[in-house]
Amino acid sequence: MIGFLAKRLAQALVVLLLVSVIVFVLLHLLPGGPARAILGVQATPQAVAHFNHQQGYDRSLPQQYLMYLGRLLTGDLGESYRLNQSVGSLLAERLPRTALLAGLSLALAAVLAVPLGILQAVRRGRAADHVLTGLAFLAYATPVFFLGLVLVLVFSQQLPLLPAEAPQADTVGGILAEPAGLVLPVVTTALGIVAAFSRYLRSAVLDNLGEDYVRTARAKGQSGTRVLVRHVLRNALLPLVTLLGLYLPTLFSGTLVVESMFNYPGMGLLFWNAAQGSDFPVLLGVTLVVGVATVLGSLLADVAYAVLDPRIRSVP
Amino acid sequence: MTTTAPAPQDAAPAVPGPVRRVLTGFRRNKLALTGALILLALLAFCFLGPLLHPTDQIHTDLTQANRAPGAGHPLGTTDLGYDLLGRLMYGGRTSLEVGLAAGLLATLVGTVYGAVAGYFGGWPDAVMMRVTDAALAIPALFLLVVVATLVTPSKPVLILVIASVAWLSPARLLRGEALALRSRDYVHAMRLMGGGGTRAVFRHILPNALGTVVVNATFQIADAILYVAYLSFLGLSLPPPAADWGSLLSAGITYTQVGHWWLIFPPGIAIVLVVAAFNFLGDGLRDAFDVRLDTGRGSHR
Amino acid sequence: MTEPLLRIDDLHVDITTRDRTVHALDGIDLDLAPGEALGLVGESGCGKTLTALSVLGLLPAGGRITRGRILFHGTDLAAAPEPVLRGVRGHTVGMVFQDPLTSLNPTMTIGAQVAEPLRLHTRLTRAEARAKAEEMLGLVGLPRPAERMTHYPHQLSGGMRQRVAIAMALVCEPDLLIADEPTTALDVTTQHQILELVDALRARLGMALILVTHDLGVIARRVDRVAVMYGGRIAEHAPVRPLFAAPRHRYTQALFAALPERAPDPARPLATVPGRPPVLTTRPTGCRFAPRCGFATDLCRTAEPELTDGPDGGRPADRTAHTFACFHPAGPAPGADPVAEIRPPAPATAPPRADAPLLRLTDLAKSYPLHGGPFARRRGAAGISAVAGISLTVRRGETFGIVGESGCGKSTLGRLAVGLEAPTTGTVEVAGRDLATLRGGELRAHRREVQLMFQDSAAAMDPRMRVGAVLTEPLVIQGIGDRAARQRRIAGLLDDVGLPRGAVDRYPHEFSGGQRQRLGLARALALAPSLVVADEPVSALDVSVQAQILNLMRALQREKGLSYLFISHDLAVVRHVADRVGVMYLGKLVETGPAEAVFDRPLHPYTRGLLDTVRPPDPASRPLGGETPSAAAPPSGCRFRTRCAFATERCAAEPPLVGRGAGHVASCHFPLRG
Repeated sequence: MIGFLAKRLAQALVVLLLVSVIVFVLLHLLPGGPARAILGVQATPQAVAHFNHQQGYDRSLPQQYLMYLGRLLTGDLGESYRLNQSVGSLLAERLPRTALLAGLSLALAAVLAVPLGILQAVRRGRAADHVLTGLAFLAYATPVFFLGLVLVLVFSQQLPLLPAEAPQADTVGGILAEPAGLVLPVVTTALGIVAAFSRYLRSAVLDNLGEDYVRTARAKGQSGTRVLVRHVLRNALLPLVTLLGLYLPTLFSGTLVVESMFNYPGMGLLFWNAAQGSDFPVLLGVTLVVGVATVLGSLLADVAYAVLDPRIRSVP
Repeated sequence: MTTTAPAPQDAAPAVPGPVRRVLTGFRRNKLALTGALILLALLAFCFLGPLLHPTDQIHTDLTQANRAPGAGHPLGTTDLGYDLLGRLMYGGRTSLEVGLAAGLLATLVGTVYGAVAGYFGGWPDAVMMRVTDAALAIPALFLLVVVATLVTPSKPVLILVIASVAWLSPARLLRGEALALRSRDYVHAMRLMGGGGTRAVFRHILPNALGTVVVNATFQIADAILYVAYLSFLGLSLPPPAADWGSLLSAGITYTQVGHWWLIFPPGIAIVLVVAAFNFLGDGLRDAFDVRLDTGRGSHR
Repeated sequence: MTEPLLRIDDLHVDITTRDRTVHALDGIDLDLAPGEALGLVGESGCGKTLTALSVLGLLPAGGRITRGRILFHGTDLAAAPEPVLRGVRGHTVGMVFQDPLTSLNPTMTIGAQVAEPLRLHTRLTRAEARAKAEEMLGLVGLPRPAERMTHYPHQLSGGMRQRVAIAMALVCEPDLLIADEPTTALDVTTQHQILELVDALRARLGMALILVTHDLGVIARRVDRVAVMYGGRIAEHAPVRPLFAAPRHRYTQALFAALPERAPDPARPLATVPGRPPVLTTRPTGCRFAPRCGFATDLCRTAEPELTDGPDGGRPADRTAHTFACFHPAGPAPGADPVAEIRPPAPATAPPRADAPLLRLTDLAKSYPLHGGPFARRRGAAGISAVAGISLTVRRGETFGIVGESGCGKSTLGRLAVGLEAPTTGTVEVAGRDLATLRGGELRAHRREVQLMFQDSAAAMDPRMRVGAVLTEPLVIQGIGDRAARQRRIAGLLDDVGLPRGAVDRYPHEFSGGQRQRLGLARALALAPSLVVADEPVSALDVSVQAQILNLMRALQREKGLSYLFISHDLAVVRHVADRVGVMYLGKLVETGPAEAVFDRPLHPYTRGLLDTVRPPDPASRPLGGETPSAAAPPSGCRFRTRCAFATERCAAEPPLVGRGAGHVASCHFPLRG
């Protein structure tokens, strides 16, 4: 397992570096470069030249990249030029909130998907399977914002049960204190992922049911339910751990849309507002942080999988 | 009993060839057929519809703004007085054109990139794949928005922007496929006959990867159509008077409080229909070609 | 006979898939007394496994018992509800399956899996069940059972996993053990160990056994009675000795005659059974074997023979008597040579053989890095030593057989010989030219000389190409002939391998396994090579089809003056086809020499042990114990020393080559005296 983990860690480090390279390249694709992005289009050429010299933007690209990397490592992500605040502090404030939304949604997705997937596998080819398959296709095809809109129309306007705006508290605790406001954002984010997870679980359970070891278990005199619970589920659920990691980008894309829809004060909303106002330091800062979070998240998922699966854990 | 037996009864029953198999598999799959029919209907609606229901989609007419569905305007009008039914047809063209073009372009680029990485293997593969890993680690919507803010949207620009993000997942898929096909025994057999890399790629690897490419292309188009809608929702759509289903839908969101449902459901349902239709089609093709795509769908959105 | 433990009466099983229904079993009658061992034999698709699965109600999806009774301890299992069956499974009837690699749960400890039946069927506590499981693991010969209890299946070798599977089946001390091809996936030496173990446990626990296998050699020494199945029915049923001495059904007779080990003379072609078993979507009229039988008459084609004890006899009351379902059975005289009646025509004359060496391998070695990836080599890791210093020569017109167990490096050797992989050290010379020095056009021209015949020809043919394109490809690549000439050439090739010319318009997957091997041979011959390397060319085939392919290979060798490097794990097959053989163990050639010399008077203890595992037992035999060590850390000196009865400290040093004339050499410090 040590070998596997070392290899996976090295891979994650390389990917992290490349993520920073991509963001660095995007920074240099900005119209007028970083100077215009930070000083604004009204700045005089002299001011731009002065800025470029001061910030080292007149050096060679590799040198600039190293400087950029150095700043990143000290946590310096630049200054938002609309919010008068450092991007680092903005993110420090918003990151926990988005993590809360993403975590709750991912947990809800897994909790819903597992029984649904098993149900579909066990009832394969029957009505329940067909209905759930149809719903999964529908979920794939529905843009998150349309889904959110329909949920708001139904649960907030037709039947005024839930607020259409997310809690506006500053802290995670404060947000959790208003659970009603969290319901619609979390459900909206989770539903698309539920479809994918339950489809995966359906086929994993079906694949495992066809394995020889299931026949062996039945030949011992176990009932179908016991075979499913004791033997099949463990084998089918294990890879779900890595799937959670693979779905992080989808999850973050979902929170971007949901946060801007429900005015949830996380990174997504920050990013969306920055896009409206061309606040490039913020845009790129969020992009970088989300990329890093994805890499670390899927690393974590793979490590968890290695620990849980005896085939990797106990390789001599 | 003879020593070598060309035994006539040894012949297996005739089995149809691959093309026929794909066709029969397709016909058997009602879902795929449904998908194809929905697509045809939507194409007819967008491109032939205006002949039956001609409307002015260039000039605003504020006297006609925000009408509920009724005579003359079967689906009502928008806040700028456009006839919504006509606008759906007009906007659908954008969604379909951009989605199709971006999906196909992404598949093409991704296929070539993935096939090259997979076929060569070793260091080139490792470097090329780490680059896609890194780009895939940044959630697609974030990347799309950043790229979109750098440019002024037009149809070709939108196609390029979406393709620039969407090519990553077919690249990974095809890389795996090429890696697997490269070590098939029939490729080894061909090498032993004296055949080279060109023959391996064009005669054996590409034809056998074709199923995967075609299936992936349909899913890619579905995703590209969704990306167009997401960009519009996030405020990065084509400037008016151009429209697409996503921008129609997000324009309607402002009016949900006052109950203008007709501004929301028609474009929303149109998006769901077209994306579902491409997914149905892809699923049917996947069964017909008998290909397995590795992870679940949607991991790249 | 005492009251039977198991009585199967008129069992019928249908398998329904989406497109069709197969009448897979069509009236099976069987009796089994307590403690008795019954063998079920037959080729693939004859219904032997289904019969075994029916007893436990474990038929595959779509399978259904449509008629008949399965009385076990007086209960009809065919009609029993699921809870009753569950009470029987793993409790009074244990079952062992074919593939030990897939039949254990990969994520559950061995201890938990073995204890599971006890927890289900007895009132033992968890601790008691674990103690009993540990005891059982010791009984099946698993070293250090206490430690193994906490291990997972992937930490054990295939043979050890099969021992675990047996422990699991026997932990409740059942009255009947059903073993479905329990050794097919294992190497010969392991196979032998497992069968010995089952024998010993059967005697100790006094249980009955149903042994399902396609391997007549396996059945001969392990069971009391045999039922030979064909096309979903029992063709012949007899105590084991009379059956092997004088099979009566023409199918049984043909099956025996097709066995290479029973061939009267290696120089003669094997008797074969043309055609293939019936597809049972409709019930055939008449005898199911009639279309393939040389003795069939109109009667056979219209009326279905019943199991009787003679052509005019009836069904004997004793259901264990020798019975057969054949209108024209072979003679009953014990001792009569069954092969005499179906002797194939025209004894072969040995081809004129030039002594010129065609393929020469010198100190050939190949090792693979243990972990893939760029850092593996730099760290100087030793890696897996697949082939370790092999030198041998194949002469023009001869067949050189390479025999060895899985993982011994024989396939790697084949891939090195054809140039599919480059050796780590050493040289491959074909007709005096070193393969490593060839480039570009020279290399392409060289490809005409040596071709490879794959184990699975289906995987070696592009599924999107028709047979015509598959066979033409080598000619196109080499730029041989124009369109018309190529068409003529492939028509000739199809004639050579006995396939209809119409085959060109079809796809490889449309052909049966045997036909695909014919196609594979045709393609290998398209460039008129001098040497064909055949890697396990018949190991996926049934005995009767195997004989067809072996005969074909031999006939074409004579006709075209071919040389073969014939790689196989099957000693009988290699003995039948090879002029000279090499025995491989862990990447080394331990013994080479003329086939008769090596097989009759082996020098190396490994060769001897290998042969003893498939020979009738005799007091002097030394079947191999233990398991092959990992090729990642092979023993120094003689690699076999860890399992050798004669090994001393001297064996840790490289063993010398010892000879016994006529090119028979072995590398051993203590060669056997023949």
